[in-house]
Amino acid sequence: MIEVNHISKDFVSPKKYPGLRGAIKGLFSNEKIVKTAVDDISFSIEKGEIVGYIGSNGAGKSTTIKMMTGILNPTKGTCRVAGIDPGKRRRENAQNIGVVFGQRTQLWWDLPLSESFTILKEIYDVSDESYREQMAFLNRVLALEEFFDRPVRTLSLGQRMRADLGAALLHNPKVLYLDEPTIGLDLVVKDNIREAIKEINEKYQTTVILTTHDIGDIEELCSRIIIIDEGKKIYDGSLDKLKDTYGTKRKVSMEIRQPYKAKNLDLAKMLDVNTQECLTEYDKENSILTVTFDKHKLQVPQILSAVMEQVEIKDVQIQETELAQIVKEIYNHGAVEGV
Amino acid sequence: MRTCKRYLRLYRVLITQFIKTIMQSKVDFLMGLFGFFFTQIMGIAFLYLVFEQIPSLKGWTLDQLIFIYGFAQIPRGIDHLFTDNVWLVAWRLVLNGDFDRYMLRPMNIFFQVIAEKLQPDALGELLVGTILVVRSLSKGIVITDPLHGILFFVSIFAGALIYTSIKLFFASFAFWIKVSGPFLQLAYETADFAKYPTEIYAKGIRFLITWVIPFAFVAYLPASFFLKSEASGVVIGIECAIAVVFWCIAYAVFNKGTHVYESAGN
Amino acid sequence: MGKRLRIYLPFAANELKRKMAYKGAFYLFIVISLFKSFISYYLWMAVYGSSNQAVIGGLSQSEMIVYVFMVYVTSSVMIPISDAISDDVVKGTVAMNLIKPIDYRLSLISRAVGSMIYNFLAPSVFIWIGVEIYKVTVLGLAPVTVERIILYLISCIMSFLIYVLFDFCFGMIAFFTTYILGLMMVQEALLGFLTGQLIPISFFPQAVQTLFEFLPFSSMIYTPVMIYLGKYSGEMLAFVLARQAVWIVILYVLGSMIWKRVTRRLVVLGG
Repeated sequence: MIEVNHISKDFVSPKKYPGLRGAIKGLFSNEKIVKTAVDDISFSIEKGEIVGYIGSNGAGKSTTIKMMTGILNPTKGTCRVAGIDPGKRRRENAQNIGVVFGQRTQLWWDLPLSESFTILKEIYDVSDESYREQMAFLNRVLALEEFFDRPVRTLSLGQRMRADLGAALLHNPKVLYLDEPTIGLDLVVKDNIREAIKEINEKYQTTVILTTHDIGDIEELCSRIIIIDEGKKIYDGSLDKLKDTYGTKRKVSMEIRQPYKAKNLDLAKMLDVNTQECLTEYDKENSILTVTFDKHKLQVPQILSAVMEQVEIKDVQIQETELAQIVKEIYNHGAVEGV
Repeated sequence: MRTCKRYLRLYRVLITQFIKTIMQSKVDFLMGLFGFFFTQIMGIAFLYLVFEQIPSLKGWTLDQLIFIYGFAQIPRGIDHLFTDNVWLVAWRLVLNGDFDRYMLRPMNIFFQVIAEKLQPDALGELLVGTILVVRSLSKGIVITDPLHGILFFVSIFAGALIYTSIKLFFASFAFWIKVSGPFLQLAYETADFAKYPTEIYAKGIRFLITWVIPFAFVAYLPASFFLKSEASGVVIGIECAIAVVFWCIAYAVFNKGTHVYESAGN
Repeated sequence: MGKRLRIYLPFAANELKRKMAYKGAFYLFIVISLFKSFISYYLWMAVYGSSNQAVIGGLSQSEMIVYVFMVYVTSSVMIPISDAISDDVVKGTVAMNLIKPIDYRLSLISRAVGSMIYNFLAPSVFIWIGVEIYKVTVLGLAPVTVERIILYLISCIMSFLIYVLFDFCFGMIAFFTTYILGLMMVQEALLGFLTGQLIPISFFPQAVQTLFEFLPFSSMIYTPVMIYLGKYSGEMLAFVLARQAVWIVILYVLGSMIWKRVTRRLVVLGG
């Protein structure tokens, strides 16, 4: 369904200087900065897949999506969506895709939602019959009736997101792009949105590509994830495999009463494992001892009792490794198998 | 044909919506209208004061100048009414990435841009323009044979197209430099020069507003054709040619611009 | 005074910085702002060319040229603040301003000072110098005296205050209607006449001129420009300067009164 071949995107911008003197200097300077937002990325996505496209802020996620939707033209490389080059045949491509940008609505701000749908019906040339059918379906999964007659600007964030999702699906697109679709939503609404996406995917075999910072979105929806960092693809594979390989670390942070004793603590030695499986770090300034360990090898109580044999603990915090951290770790380790 | 119908239908839907929104704030609408109307009236009052001191200006009478002034408002008002959203492209749609939404829909981008907004303030200009032209007609200073009548409407249409082309051309710079508002404003405001007979200006300025940013062909030159029997209709022909050429250039630049559009967030 | 300056100076400095950040616009707006002056210049040249009198409305052709461009220089002190008020009202940030221990009007005026300095330094001073050079070399008039420059600048500073204080009162309309844009256009068009910006007030019929004498607007532009042209001397000069000062006081008091009423209303309505 989607073929991306060695795609790159550069942005060129004039250099800016800080301060009042900088502003004066800026008047006379013409220096340029080139930033490569996407750097030689390739992947292919099959019909009906739901793919999570993740990376830190500014990693190039949105830029890639924008190239696949035809908003941006790639600097290098090619991209095909349902056999069409979005940059060259924008209009045909637009008919095939639906897009939701979490932070920005595609709807008409001052118009009642119902009117937005009337306009979209015309824009996408949807026949009366399929309009009725699709609206019935969307109403069922997104419950749009609740606020169908209200102007878009009066909708809550959750309602607006449902409305936007509905609007993107009215013409039953082959591919659906979701850029942070659950950002800022509460848990219940998040769940509704995820359910709706799942249902749409099942019913129409819609290919879904979603960017998100929310691990819940990924776990609920995605069978496959692609991770990019600084414009480069660093992981492409199943979520399970990623978690097996990298999500095994847990972290315990302990605030300690007798800082002088903490210096020589080495949990790995005490528990008889190697440092890969159990890493001890000590933050002198805050008297915090952090132990990062493999959850298949060790348990939290083991760590705690080992430490408490030596020093007194004031406070404890246990952290599961977050997806963002896994991503960071992958990046620090360089390329991963499967790329 | 089918596509054309679809566009027309969509335009109607969009504009109906827009009119509904305006009607929700009638006072705002009337105030804007009044503001424009008033500004134009002041322009006329200025001419009156000047002509208190002199019988004619470089051979033009007050009545003739008022016709030129009023005639100039009509193509300007038409363009203003229908394509005002182009200003937003120049000032912020490209900068903040809102232009994305046009790129995502399976329709002509320029159409989407202009279909999104009607500028009701423009009715103020159209109203003043019409009143002044009607006044001139009643004074009998305008030539009214059928040929001039037809060319009158041709000229207004071509003039509006020249306005739109100049606006679109400069607005399209935004795709390269993010904000092209100041450039657009520079070009747009040269139109003020063309409210008066170009004979009063230095050669350089006359050349600029006749051939580079050809607002003279929107206002003063065609208007003088309707005032003076010895003036040749060729001027309307040139006006049309300029309209077509400028439109093609502006539209090509706009299209090229949408291909280098960078969106926002980087 | 020192403390006040410390509080309000950043408003002015920020405004100056903000304006300088747009470098392309910086040059272009200078050119655009000169358009109107050049149109008037050519129009007046043609008017004097078509007239059989050498002096129209009390001004010779050379004086008219100086008038047109000195109007441009003087206009740079007319910094609108009503648009900022309207913005604050629409965004609801006025209430925020009430909480801060800052005088709202003073903060707006400080911002306007920043804009004014910016406008005055670039391009007005250069246009001014240009006018003087043109006047002496081409028109063959005597250069302006230091004394008159000082009087002109004093008058300009008062013009600035009259305008911003007036525009503050005008901006209060924003509290009653959300759509002030249409009114701003009306204001601009009217001021073009009433201040002498578009055409010297001496061109109006005598009755209208007398009426204008009783309005604050002629003090905004016409007065300083006529001072610069040396049209006033002795008692008359003292009178027009005193009239400017009186308008500052009147508009200041008027603004305070309206503001008090508006804020009371704001508190009642919960702004």
